[in-house]
Amino acid sequence: MGKEIANFIVNGNEYEVIIEPHMLLIDVLRDEMGLMGTKYACGAGDCGSCTVLIDGKPSFSCLTLAVTAKGKNILTIEGMADGTALHPIQQAFVEKGAVQCGFCTPGMVLSTKALLDENSEPTRDDVKTALAGNLCRCTGYVKIVDAVEVAAGTMREGG
Amino acid sequence: MHRVLLPFEFFEPTTIKEVVELVDGDKVRVLAGGVDLVLKMRRREILPEKVVSLQKVPGLDYVEGNGSAGLKFGALATLTQIEQSEVVMENCALLREAISKIVSVQTKTMGTAIGNLCVATPASDVAPPLYAMGARIKIVGVDAEREIPIEEFFVDAGKTALGPHEIVTEIVVPSLPSGSGGAFMKLSKTAEDIAKVNAAVMVTLADGRCEDARIALGSVAPTPIRAIGAETMMKGQKMDKKTIEEASASAAEAATPISDIRSTAEYRKEMVRILVKDALQEAAARAQA
Ligand SMILES: Cc1cc2nc3c(=O)[nH]c(=O)nc-3n(C[C@H](O)[C@H](O)[C@H](O)COP(=O)(O)OP(=O)(O)OC[C@H]3O[C@@H](n4cnc5c(N)ncnc54)[C@H](O)[C@@H]3O)c2cc1C
Repeated sequence: MGKEIANFIVNGNEYEVIIEPHMLLIDVLRDEMGLMGTKYACGAGDCGSCTVLIDGKPSFSCLTLAVTAKGKNILTIEGMADGTALHPIQQAFVEKGAVQCGFCTPGMVLSTKALLDENSEPTRDDVKTALAGNLCRCTGYVKIVDAVEVAAGTMREGG
Repeated sequence: MHRVLLPFEFFEPTTIKEVVELVDGDKVRVLAGGVDLVLKMRRREILPEKVVSLQKVPGLDYVEGNGSAGLKFGALATLTQIEQSEVVMENCALLREAISKIVSVQTKTMGTAIGNLCVATPASDVAPPLYAMGARIKIVGVDAEREIPIEEFFVDAGKTALGPHEIVTEIVVPSLPSGSGGAFMKLSKTAEDIAKVNAAVMVTLADGRCEDARIALGSVAPTPIRAIGAETMMKGQKMDKKTIEEASASAAEAATPISDIRSTAEYRKEMVRILVKDALQEAAARAQA
């Protein structure tokens, strides 16, 4: 299999892109689809900045061959807001000061989404476990955990 | 670290037969979760001409009970699947405990347990519990299948017993006799890091005496190892402080660690003693519970 026209479903939208087998998902998202919200940092799985959800599962887009993600449901940070209305997780991150430089934030938000989709009432330990694969070098994590708790509350109330 | 991968040909067969017909050592590599393979390709440590994905082969993602034989899981069973499996929780708590010490969620949702073993790093957290439980590895080649104990699978750092045209399809973990208890301990710089030293132990007790003991150590030799001397000295002994201390001192002697960025050899050896002591105590308590 060499160059091919591949179909991707990202944030509910269909994309048709010419890809080659050695292309990484992060590059297809950023360079071919213009979805620059997904961040590249360590390239080795250590930092979690490039996290996207593939069929609901938090995955490293920098260690995923794009060809293996064809036809799967991919969620990036761009798919979180509803038009101009922030998702409750994003809103909570803003309100709680969980964002400083912001580079880890897209990955943090998506790992949080995966957690809250499975567990609507996580303990602080559950939150730390769920975010253990996402590094933040600014906040010291306390405000991020606070934000996830607030987001969980809002979402339980149907917000 | 390079930003992009060099080109390769990609195959997504749907049967194991097709996979093994393509696979050829470092030239044609299998892709499971890709966590390690893609990283190494980026570092130019492996530059395969062809990559053969297992992901489209149906029926490899199981984790299931194996009757009286215990537990088995397939080549696409992810670390998360195994960690969350009820069968594992009931029959193989030691494996679950070890996987829980790998903290990166994305690594566990993408990475397979068998992929972890095929990397053959001596620091694997997956291997020691499987050594301690006497797991067996099912290997499929072009015209033959074989099953070997995990000790024979790990040959050297980064090297397995797989021939160039073979893949692993399944791990079988025997069920434990009653009166058994296990424990896993990992020492690392931070919770996210790989182990400086890890240890998995399994003991079977009857009337407070040790009928069987298995002690597996990681990160202290080119492959995971068993502390056979320590195991032998425990058999038939009362499971008391003295036995545990003698066994853990013997286990430390079995370790032949190196010094590297994570630790010195001396420290690793001393930590084997501590980790094995703590693990044996915990395992004995669990066996009696
Ligand atoms: C951030 C991070 C943290 C980590 N932390 C830990 C940790 O704390 N402890 C720990 O033990 N591990 C840790 N790992 C390692 C991780 O568990 C493994 O890299 C992962 O499980 C590999 O599985 P995979 O399915 O992605 O394998 P792949 O990357 O797909 O494959 C790995 C290698 O095995 C070969 N292979 C895969 N499957 C088969 C098969 N069925 N038959 C033959 N060959 C095969 C491939 O060709 C390749 O060479 C960590 C990794 C990362 C990125």
